[in-house]
Amino acid sequence: MELFRDTHFNFLGRKWWFILPSLILILAGLTNILVKGPRYSTDFKGGVETDIRWEGAPPVERIRAAVSSRLAGVSVVAAHDLTGSSEVIVSAELPSGGDVTTVRQTIDEALSTISPRYSIRDYQAIGPQIGDDLRHQALMATAGASGGMLAYLSYRFRLAYGVAAVVAMLHDAVITIGLLSLFHQEISLTVVAALLTLIGYSMNDTIVVFDRVRENRRISGRESLAETINRSINQTLSRTVLTSGLTLLTAVALLLFGGQVLRGFSLALVIGILVGTFSSIFIASPILLAWEQGHAKWRTQQRTLSAGGVR
Amino acid sequence: MNRSLIRKTLFILAITAASVFAIVRAPLRLGLDLRGGVSLILRVKVDDPSPERRREVVQQTRQILERRINAFGLSEAPVQSYGSRGNELLVQLPGISDPSRIKNLLQSRGILEWYSVEGGPYASPEEATAHHGGTLPYNRKLVATQPAGDGRLSWFLLDSQPIIRGTDLRDARVALDAMERPVTTFMLSRDAASHFEQYTQSNIGQRTAIVLDQEILSTPVIDDVIRDSGEIRGARSREQAEDLAVNLRSGALPAAIEVVQQRTVEASLGADSIRQGLQAGVAGLAAVVAVMLLYYRRAGANATLALLMNGLLLIAILSCFGAVLTLPGIAGAVLTIGMAVDSNVLIFERIREELRAGKSAGAALAAGFAKALATLIDTHVTTVVSCLFLFFFGTPAVKGFATTLVIGLTTNLFTSVFVSRLAFDWELWRQRSRATLSIGIAR
Repeated sequence: MELFRDTHFNFLGRKWWFILPSLILILAGLTNILVKGPRYSTDFKGGVETDIRWEGAPPVERIRAAVSSRLAGVSVVAAHDLTGSSEVIVSAELPSGGDVTTVRQTIDEALSTISPRYSIRDYQAIGPQIGDDLRHQALMATAGASGGMLAYLSYRFRLAYGVAAVVAMLHDAVITIGLLSLFHQEISLTVVAALLTLIGYSMNDTIVVFDRVRENRRISGRESLAETINRSINQTLSRTVLTSGLTLLTAVALLLFGGQVLRGFSLALVIGILVGTFSSIFIASPILLAWEQGHAKWRTQQRTLSAGGVR
Repeated sequence: MNRSLIRKTLFILAITAASVFAIVRAPLRLGLDLRGGVSLILRVKVDDPSPERRREVVQQTRQILERRINAFGLSEAPVQSYGSRGNELLVQLPGISDPSRIKNLLQSRGILEWYSVEGGPYASPEEATAHHGGTLPYNRKLVATQPAGDGRLSWFLLDSQPIIRGTDLRDARVALDAMERPVTTFMLSRDAASHFEQYTQSNIGQRTAIVLDQEILSTPVIDDVIRDSGEIRGARSREQAEDLAVNLRSGALPAAIEVVQQRTVEASLGADSIRQGLQAGVAGLAAVVAVMLLYYRRAGANATLALLMNGLLLIAILSCFGAVLTLPGIAGAVLTIGMAVDSNVLIFERIREELRAGKSAGAALAAGFAKALATLIDTHVTTVVSCLFLFFFGTPAVKGFATTLVIGLTTNLFTSVFVSRLAFDWELWRQRSRATLSIGIAR
């Protein structure tokens, strides 16, 4: 079986058809984040989160009322996994100045007024400072990863390739965060881990195309850079589609079977793989071309300027 | 040709055997999120200006906590330092479901002191000061008792210098008193014992107070000379008496401790997570293998072989390092499957291109692998680079994920290039001169 054989799509010729929707997505995501504010999970803002297994259908409203009378900032979400058991996720703010360790008892008291048939399966209480630290670490990790990859690519290829790849990667990260915000998904530690993973995937995709461009540049005679890039994208197209499809399969498997804990992680991955594949073709490549063309123009200008100076 | 093939095959078989041996010898241990337990992040409250002194206090605290945990019967739970601030400690206690007991064990400082009582009991600090003309006498201090059954406190006026300090203790055990109630007995060090003997001799009939962590536990009257041991009564249960003994035995904490994060996972949730992780892994793997076989025919079988080998190596290396398998670790392993597939697709597409260009099977194979290798190294190194920055997180969960992914990527480079290539070479060798490749394209 063969997906694509000897294709000649002109990817760069129609680039605005693809860059525009991408820009719209970025804008929509960013406005959503700005208007609603970023939604951090308890990992990042501190607080209490419990995963409670309820026998029978959980009375969400009554649980909310009972916990709210004792704690501030309460949210109660019922979640069903594929096995059909019912779980309730109750989160709340930590009482100010209160002890991290006493809130479990408070929640237990609140729940036992409703029914004795529940069990707290996962209890997590995070002090506010831990959350601050984590946000700081997440920022450091993202900045560090971007810088590290830029350095490696600039060393292996040229600066232009590195910049194009990193811009495409940031594009993916921003779109994914925006879409997660649109889907009301909180930014938790696992989502950040997924973001960093898909940054790696997106890079992968871009590098495969760029590797081919570099290889073709060595043997292309009079071909223009635009033609070389187009040819390289076409040559790697079946690999790009197949790989993305297969990694998407594993991510979807995680989304379907991975359970509640991995939901945010797998959702971020599914979005990220789609966006990442798109960006290596329609974002990274045009940037590479624009940069190199601009650079060439600047060089000729410099040359005519210095030639004028001699005269 | 044949001899080199056999040598390579033997090499791979040896690695497989070693991996299986490693896994059988030391199976992967499950992390707290998969088997249930309590995890606590503690902050040592030390505000000494000297960073060296701070480090020392945190280090001491860590050792004492470890001693207490070991005494509790949880030997495989070392206390780790956590975060970048340097004053936080991570305690993981798998298999424990009731965190309150362990918390008391960790949080109480365990400073035991013995004072002489100079006045009391009083119902409130105000009553005590009123009794002494509005101000406390020089060299005296007011200390409250433990709350009584009805929650009320009473206050005693004590000498500000203790007769016995926490550092004077030599040992502490649980025993039963004459009424068969559990008591905590303690032994004094030799110096403290001779001092205490003199003191009790000249103060018979005097009331004293045993104070633990700024709380009066009991106020016995000296009725005889005491040499080197004493006992603390009033424990509500044997457990409480035991915990006190452990705390006294392991030494007093040099600084107070605050719990800044707590997580309790029930074992049943862990079991669910394992089941779900396995389901996701098997479903993902099955889907990928099916597509590969359909699309690449026999070459797809080679890729599957490489994939399985990769999984085996990954687990073997993880168990060699004594790594603990956590849920994020499972996610990392599932993602490794994705990366491994990518490598195989990259190589196979390259081989197909070479075949289409009219090369012979052998030449296409060699060229395909050689050209794909450069790309593979670039993609793997970049992913490893981005993974390394995940170690910026002090969180064990993210570290576990990054570790699995980095190891998986490394083993993948080996299996997708070396193992899969060998499978192709055998295929060619078997067909000898008129070799063709089954890689899913019509020739």
